[in-house]
Amino acid sequence: MSAAPRPETSPRLEPFRLRGANFNLLVLRLLDPRPEAVVPAIGDQFRRAPGFLRFAPVVLGLDDIALPAHEVDFAGLIAGLRELTIVPIGTTGGSPELRNAAMSLGLPPVRSIGGREDEAPLAAAPPPQPAAAPEPAAPPPPPPGTARPTMVHDQPVRAGQRIYAAGGDLIVTSTVNAGGEVIADGNIHVYGALRGRAIAGGGNNAEARVFAQNFDPELISIAGYYAVRDGLTGAPIGKAVQVRLMGERMRFDPIG
Amino acid sequence: MAQVVVVTSGKGGVGKTTSSAAFATGLAQRGKKTVVIDFDVGLRNLDLIMGVERRVVFDIVNVISGEARLNQALIRDKRVDTLSILPASQTRDKDALTRDGVAKIIEELSKDFDYILCDSPAGIEKGALLALYFADQAVVVTNPEVSSVRDSDRILGVLQSRSKRAEEKKDPVKEHLLVTRFDPVRVERGEMLKLEDIQEILSIPLLGVIPESESVLKASNTGTPVILDAESMAGQAYADAVSRFLGEEKPHRFIEAEKKGLFKRLFGGRAA
Repeated sequence: MSAAPRPETSPRLEPFRLRGANFNLLVLRLLDPRPEAVVPAIGDQFRRAPGFLRFAPVVLGLDDIALPAHEVDFAGLIAGLRELTIVPIGTTGGSPELRNAAMSLGLPPVRSIGGREDEAPLAAAPPPQPAAAPEPAAPPPPPPGTARPTMVHDQPVRAGQRIYAAGGDLIVTSTVNAGGEVIADGNIHVYGALRGRAIAGGGNNAEARVFAQNFDPELISIAGYYAVRDGLTGAPIGKAVQVRLMGERMRFDPIG
Repeated sequence: MAQVVVVTSGKGGVGKTTSSAAFATGLAQRGKKTVVIDFDVGLRNLDLIMGVERRVVFDIVNVISGEARLNQALIRDKRVDTLSILPASQTRDKDALTRDGVAKIIEELSKDFDYILCDSPAGIEKGALLALYFADQAVVVTNPEVSSVRDSDRILGVLQSRSKRAEEKKDPVKEHLLVTRFDPVRVERGEMLKLEDIQEILSIPLLGVIPESESVLKASNTGTPVILDAESMAGQAYADAVSRFLGEEKPHRFIEAEKKGLFKRLFGGRAA
């Protein structure tokens, strides 16, 4: 039962990691795509709220453009927006021709996960905000602690599989086999045997716990502190167990 | 439409090719038009186990690269006339297989056959992935041994994520567990994993248990699929497994250690 140093501090061999992440972005819906119309209008709008959009990444909404693709001056738009320190990073909606025209200038189509974007509150000039913290266009997430999303996994987690519950809890109703890995930013519940690795409390959530009906893991980690199986000599192996972090030590208690 | 069945395991040497040969022969014996494809390009063995190694002219790579037509490469079995074999190439490697090429072969075979068995190579690389990609059903071959069970677990995960059915979000591949080289005596002594333990980890339906048997090696060396040796326990166990595969109810045999009498204990005598 060792509270070893955080694995983050161990040397890494691979030069990069590819990870999925969700971002809140503003969508700039172009109602009149002519740069000479759009750019000054945005400039006027934000002169009242200086700094609001400084270096803010925005996605260009193409749904309202009625012009054919060759008549839209994307190059002019991009240059004009950049001059206002607004950084277009992609497009959403619109016809394939429009998307292709934008793509040829380095603006790929961005897919929205939540369906339709909200009308961004551009007209009602929002209060000035610190730079690089734009008002989210999507409805704000509920305050922490009310309703965090829980991921439920009904299949056995097999060797080589990795299940990650981002931003919430993970429930596995079956077993986690040796060589399988379950990761959650919140708590992990395993209602079968836990024989693989369980990594809870990603993002340094030291309150996270791991619950297992039959506790027999290869590795267990909470908020970066971890213990391997060989170090679990005092833990009630094979029992129903909950694991939590007490200071810098992991505690293994029988439950049920 | 033909059913595509992959025989796979992850780990090598557990009896994939032996099981493919026995299973294909068993299905063909029941009157099903069956073809068995060797996907182990570069290390072809199925033709030896099936006893057709001297009749190989063209192979799957020749067909994919357009050097031969499919029916030029297919070898008709001389013992069971509803059975054909599509051999692997010995001189090429697995990069010679392409998904489009395999798709075309399977589509063409689907017209003439009821069952297409794909004998997968070991590992989880290209050859194995292609062998399982088109599968409707999978026979996962496992030995009662921890490394084999873990590799089978891994391959089950691959089947659920990287098969065509998984990619197209259709009904999942139907999985069957085939435990081979099972020795009840060694299980009793604690040297091998128990059947319940294997099933608990893999949690897929048990299709059959093939006892460790000298007749398997003998059958391989003579190029006779062991299922044709109706006297042997292994042959009977494969026949039972084929019956269960086709929907019959059969109790599992050869899973309990035989109680040896004094006479047998004195004079030994392993099961044939």
